Amino acid sequence: MKKKVLSLLLAAVMVTGLTACGTNEGGGNSKSDSGNETSQESEDAGDSEDTGDSEDAGDSEDAGDSEAAGSNYEGVELTYWSMWANTEPQGKVIQAAVDKFQEETGAKVTIEWKNRDVKDILNSALESKEKIDLFEDDYKRIAQNYVDYVADLSEMAEAAGYADKSYAVFDTQQKAWAKDKTGSEKYTSVAEQPQVGGIFYRKDLFEKAGVEVPTTWTEFMEVCKTLKENGIQPLALDTAYASFAFGYHLSRYVPEETIGEMSEEGGWSSNADVAAAADSMIEFINAGYLADGAPDEWPNSQNKIGMSDEVAMIICANYVTTEVNNTAGVELEWGLFNYPGVEGKDDLAASAYAGANSIAITDYCENKQAAFDLAMMIVTGEIDQQMANEAGQIPADPANQAPASQDGTVEVLKATTAPLAWNMGIGENADLYPKLDECVIQLFEGKFATGADFAKALDGLY
Amino acid sequence: MKSKKNRLFIIAFTLPCALSLFIMYLYPIMRTVIMSFFGVESVTARTSEWSFNGVANYQKIFSSPTFHQAIKNMLLIWVVGGILVLSFALLFAVILTSGIRFKKFFRAAIYMPNIISAVALATMWIQYIYNQEYGLLNKFLEALGLEGRNWMGTDMKFWAMLVAFVFGAVGYYMLIFINGIERISGDIFEAATIDGANKIQQFFSITMPLLRSIFKTNITFWSINCISFFLWSKMFAPVNTEASTVVPVVYLYDTVFGTTGNVTRDAGAGAAIGVVLSLFIAIVYFIMNKVIKDDDLEF
Repeated sequence: MKKKVLSLLLAAVMVTGLTACGTNEGGGNSKSDSGNETSQESEDAGDSEDTGDSEDAGDSEDAGDSEAAGSNYEGVELTYWSMWANTEPQGKVIQAAVDKFQEETGAKVTIEWKNRDVKDILNSALESKEKIDLFEDDYKRIAQNYVDYVADLSEMAEAAGYADKSYAVFDTQQKAWAKDKTGSEKYTSVAEQPQVGGIFYRKDLFEKAGVEVPTTWTEFMEVCKTLKENGIQPLALDTAYASFAFGYHLSRYVPEETIGEMSEEGGWSSNADVAAAADSMIEFINAGYLADGAPDEWPNSQNKIGMSDEVAMIICANYVTTEVNNTAGVELEWGLFNYPGVEGKDDLAASAYAGANSIAITDYCENKQAAFDLAMMIVTGEIDQQMANEAGQIPADPANQAPASQDGTVEVLKATTAPLAWNMGIGENADLYPKLDECVIQLFEGKFATGADFAKALDGLY
Repeated sequence: MKSKKNRLFIIAFTLPCALSLFIMYLYPIMRTVIMSFFGVESVTARTSEWSFNGVANYQKIFSSPTFHQAIKNMLLIWVVGGILVLSFALLFAVILTSGIRFKKFFRAAIYMPNIISAVALATMWIQYIYNQEYGLLNKFLEALGLEGRNWMGTDMKFWAMLVAFVFGAVGYYMLIFINGIERISGDIFEAATIDGANKIQQFFSITMPLLRSIFKTNITFWSINCISFFLWSKMFAPVNTEASTVVPVVYLYDTVFGTTGNVTRDAGAGAAIGVVLSLFIAIVYFIMNKVIKDDDLEF
């Protein structure tokens, strides 16, 4: 008898354990299994009930909840999936913004710190309508991969006068991507951490060598020559950014769209400009204008800019300046200039890489206006300024001041109308990209004698 | 009557486990196999959004130069890395079971890389051993009056990664070998010594044949380890996937979740890669069972 009771108890424990392990957490306030969740209790949360998942997904009007910023959101609960950790500067600022929002509106906001891997879990979470009201990710991914699950922010953005508090380039770009994907424009996110690419340089080393910012490739080669004569290595390069660097160079010879087509279908040798671009890069490499050891393993080469006074420039996105400052523990005098154009290709000389991490609101969020107000608090005004200062990034609100490490970036972003994509089309063929990238790294390693050899090697991959 | 009760108890105890296995393993496997024949963008997309693709996903991956490179890298890790790891592991195991002094210290020292995070281990190799400027290798070459080189260049990166991985893996397989060797009775070696067999003859005529089942275990573990190889590849190419270090699981990850700057996803092709890898493991296991028979010796 005792054995029977014991056996039944054991069976019950097993079943209960298994049931507990498989509990579905989609219905209510989701709790992170990883334990990286921070819950923010408002000082007067009252008897607010979890709003649960809305059944009327797709209804973006949400008129009942719409209230102007600064309204009382007593009883409103929001869940915010962040792509940062709460120990990072960005996470700390978001935390401060949420604290402020709760204090001012009475809402309760739960932040779940998902880190960069958020991209791997977001789609499934959105498909299953997990309790997420707003989340952060790359704005292209939002506009293309999550477009069906995010709210159209057009009306709320217009009412908030967001156009005057943001860069036009992100607005137009995300609408175009959404149209590509669904056939109609959609305002899918608000930019939180803008990025811009170009050549970042140390102003003090330029001054020391007595050189000015170049605008053409010929001038750039002259600048490199003078820097080298003054004992300064011109350009740092890590293999992680080889395609970004050469993509920028190639985009001055060949339109990005054509690069994308060649990436998909081949035909690099048939385009004389590819060989010309590679030839000029080979000339640059053979002249010894790459820093010692470049192309190096990330982040060794970029660190040399901060660790020594011997390397002047790097082709990258703006976050590199903060990375170098943080690693070296110094505040360098950074400047930015757009990648130089080449003679006879003036129409291709002005474009720059631009990207952003953005905040989107789910289309099943029951309090879209509250979520939007929180997003606006983060991407504009004093919180945005705090984010720019503490994380060393470009302010999302152009009215704010860029920190010293981001000097010149706001101007470049404002002037950019048709941004270049990451790697400027070389990465368009995602499947083949690692092999294409290897050829580009080999170009910088000096493995190709001529540009024609390089183009032929690329075509050999198809 | 009693037998009926027993059956009920057996069912009561096995049902939760069987259900868990079905839900957690069998269902995902079946779904993945079916998905590999469909065009699916998101890995969790509803089946109503799937479109039948026939074998197009398999054609896509088998015609991809990146997949070829990934398979080539995996096979090199499996064969070259396997020979190195199992050889060193066996050598160390034999030495450590031969009665040397400080056996426990050496065993702990060789096993230690297994208890250190692979991320820390990879960082150590990349920054302190392979670094061009201050890395151990180039400093050593410099001391000999030779010129250093870029160990992380496109021509050397794979081998640099493999050596680092092998260094971290030896201890695990060594412990399994030690366990196998210690299982062999000392009487056998004693008898062989009396018969005039030296240590080398004893190794090839006694130790090796009696370690057959251990070899099979180690080769199976090593195969699974190689097929699920991911972290080291990511550590040696942290920003973008690189051809020199790409392996099938990294290729699968990029195919399913997209890459830096490219948001294209193809969960159907990702499922096809998963199926191919599973078949690879099954084939290796089948061959191991056929080639290495461990049931013909008793001791």
